[in-house]
Amino acid sequence: MTEAGSVSEAELHAYADGFLDEADRARVQNFLAENPDAAQMVADWQEQNDELRAVFAGHERSKPTDIQLLTGGLARTGIWPSRRLALAAAAVLIFAAGALGGHYGPLLFERPDIQLAEAEILPREARNAFLVYASEVRHPVEVFANEETHLANWLGKRLSIANLKVPNLQPMGFKLVGGRLLPVGGKPGALFMYEDQTGQRLTVLVGRNKENRSTSFRFASASTVETFYWIDGELGYAVTGEISRDMLRRVAEECYRQFPS
Amino acid sequence: MSQSPDQSTSGTAREAQAPAPLSFETQILALLPSLRRYSRSLTRSDTESEDLLQDCVEKALVSRGQWRGANFKSWTYRIMTNLHLNARRSIARRPSVGIEEAESLAASTSADDPLEKNRLVQALETLPKDARAVLMLVVVEGYAYQEVADMLEIPVGTVMSRLSRARQALREKMREENVIPLRRPR
Repeated sequence: MTEAGSVSEAELHAYADGFLDEADRARVQNFLAENPDAAQMVADWQEQNDELRAVFAGHERSKPTDIQLLTGGLARTGIWPSRRLALAAAAVLIFAAGALGGHYGPLLFERPDIQLAEAEILPREARNAFLVYASEVRHPVEVFANEETHLANWLGKRLSIANLKVPNLQPMGFKLVGGRLLPVGGKPGALFMYEDQTGQRLTVLVGRNKENRSTSFRFASASTVETFYWIDGELGYAVTGEISRDMLRRVAEECYRQFPS
Repeated sequence: MSQSPDQSTSGTAREAQAPAPLSFETQILALLPSLRRYSRSLTRSDTESEDLLQDCVEKALVSRGQWRGANFKSWTYRIMTNLHLNARRSIARRPSVGIEEAESLAASTSADDPLEKNRLVQALETLPKDARAVLMLVVVEGYAYQEVADMLEIPVGTVMSRLSRARQALREKMREENVIPLRRPR
């Protein structure tokens, strides 16, 4: 359709998409200056580009249920249940094998006495939540720190914790970013996020489970992400960050002190 | 990949060491936001999009043995594209446009011209799936033509013809219904 001159249609697309170097761009511009129909077409394409990006950009986001996509714990809406179940089951097996054999292998073998079902899920979910949300630049939390009272009331209600207080970690140099609701062990849980002056973030996860048994502080480490966790009555807590174990322990002890027992 | 919010200012001693390889699951988790955007750009509704996303994650998990350590993102995008092109889900599973459709279309953006965008989204539904996928990979996901060709294992000429088909079809669709187009100056 546009064969005139030395400009191909492929080059017009590349021009509209910004893939041309300076010399080719100038050549195409000259061509478009003399071919108003082609110029109108390219302008339409560019307008399409802008609109398409605007329509779909907002869909780039995390969801609290993302972790269940990986563990196969999310309900399906579709048909073909047999195929889906088979796939999901395979996915769960593989994920469980990876998680058990990899990051938490040592935990399994060194501490055969603890309640694996609960004590193992908690640090894994805490770590996943940290990995997903701490790297979010624009939408790390649902409710930001400027609405701290609302945040505490809201999450306290969802977790059935009367007068839940958001831990104050300012003395350690971490100020509250905000928080979000997310599933912990398949039930409503809370995630609070903090960051220091350099932008280094840490997260505090709280989940409730009737089968929980109190534990002492425990530590889980996977690559560079460290998690300190403990269970107090029905509530499980986990503090996660890419910071030194010593600092994390101090943060954990501070949270333990501040959370209602 | 650093997990601190701003990679440029997070330089620590840790980065001097060889980074520990991220687990397969972690890589998928990190990719989910952009995968979700791509999924939504291929489908007609949030529900369809989440189903495709979930299929893609499941497929990636069971196919992990086939990943050769090359570009993980392209590999996952390819899985999603193939699942979408091969499935007949859109017709078989969503026979009619429901309420959910209306609220999920372009609802998340602060539109500079909502009506125009709605028409564009409707025009998208008329595109062949393969042409739409190429258009989205180039325009929304920012892949170069050759990268799309490599990802989908098709010649770059095929990429160009699908892109051209998509653009011309959209343009005609937008024009035929747009009797008096009000164009903002560029």
